[in-house]
Amino acid sequence: MILQTSPLNNALVATVQIKEGNMALADEFKTELLTLIDNGNQYIIINFEHVIYVDSSFLGALVSALKHAMNKGADIAVVGLNKDIKSLFQLVRLDKVFKIYTSAQQALNGA
Amino acid sequence: MPKSRKILLVDDSPLVLKIIGQALEKDGFHCLKAGNVPEAMAHLKNEIPDLILSDYQMPDIDGFAFRQSLMAIAEYRNIPFMFLTSIADHDRMREGMDMEVIDYIIKDTPIALVISKINNFLNSIRERHERTIQELSTVATALNLYSIPQDAPAVNGFDIHFWHRSYQNYPGGDFIDLITIDDQYTFIILGDVMGKKWGAWFFSFGYLSYIRAAVRLCVSEGDLSTKSIMQKINSVIYHDPVVSGLLSTLSLIMINADKISYTGAGDLPLLYYNKAEGMLHKISSAGLLLGVSKDGGFDEQVFTLQPGDQLLMVTDGMIDKQTERGKKTDLKGFENELTRHLGKADSFTDMKENGFLNEIAREQIDDCSLIFIQKK
Repeated sequence: MILQTSPLNNALVATVQIKEGNMALADEFKTELLTLIDNGNQYIIINFEHVIYVDSSFLGALVSALKHAMNKGADIAVVGLNKDIKSLFQLVRLDKVFKIYTSAQQALNGA
Repeated sequence: MPKSRKILLVDDSPLVLKIIGQALEKDGFHCLKAGNVPEAMAHLKNEIPDLILSDYQMPDIDGFAFRQSLMAIAEYRNIPFMFLTSIADHDRMREGMDMEVIDYIIKDTPIALVISKINNFLNSIRERHERTIQELSTVATALNLYSIPQDAPAVNGFDIHFWHRSYQNYPGGDFIDLITIDDQYTFIILGDVMGKKWGAWFFSFGYLSYIRAAVRLCVSEGDLSTKSIMQKINSVIYHDPVVSGLLSTLSLIMINADKISYTGAGDLPLLYYNKAEGMLHKISSAGLLLGVSKDGGFDEQVFTLQPGDQLLMVTDGMIDKQTERGKKTDLKGFENELTRHLGKADSFTDMKENGFLNEIAREQIDDCSLIFIQKK
């Protein structure tokens, strides 16, 4: 399992358990996220605090999951991005696509 | 230099881990060590080794149970697996053979022989792998499937070059196209389908077909705006269930005389070297990745290049690299190194022949592409 989940009020916090989000893990990450969405979770907060690097495949999986969530009327926020990953989100404009917060608690308040 | 090969060594004896680990490292292997199966599984979560060399008798979870659990996980099933054992138990051996174990190494085997066995095995895998890739490339060539063109076109007033390296000989998601409409208009396309090696490569053709069609259609309708071409491409991809599951970046440039029009989708900024100022600037676009949203939020920037000015388009493979502290995306570092090569009459040749691009290829962790445009 890449994601470890725990409820937080009306949201679900999904913590990414790996250090490096790469091509080899992108499919599994996407499948786990899609399952969480299909299980009816309306607001998923993905916590990246343990992750030090993501590649474009992993980002692609994240965006695909967001599209799926939006089709189901659900939403995804990301938290705990390190400086490099946050810069990457900004570089490819994913900061316009995702709600980005510092912590799960802030994501909850911003929802 | 080939990349250092990774071996995951699993043994409950710290002494064995130390001795074999040291011998492997001395021979140029990168050795991940695990004292038990849970530790080994934790390593696998972070990185996939080229080979697993596992003890057979371990407390709690033994080598067989370890192998069985790996067989059940698609991602781990195909990692070559060797048992390291002090017990030459024939029945157990046969049981092991059913689990697609490559070989057994008896712990008393001289260490040099162990290393030689591992080397021979990994070399044979590499050769087989290269042969398969070669055969697939031959088929792709026969079918005229190129996601990277053979040559750059001659465009009046410009020098255009491109450079592409696949990652470990796999075709990847990067695609390049240069479309010359007539004496006046040339379109330059650089994209990166985000996804798995072969899947991304396959879908890059799908994307390229849409892009070529959109460019031709817009031009034939007299619509010479990169923004409107991008909107059309995005709209088709957004609505097409076949390709909408995969996402792609795209940089689209139109050259008309000395004027450049640029629209980007989730792409890295263009790097623009202004000869008169002697400075490198970034030109960022506003658009989202293709297929993410219905309208994509695209913009169009139009600017003029003066003689000696240079413009570079790159994919993320150029700026991602392996550092001592792990992998890193580093556009600033790339810009700093790049600047040393810009502003010359022969900047592209300089980058290509004086090691800069080869150095990037050596550090790369993805396929990487660069398009270089210089105003004469």
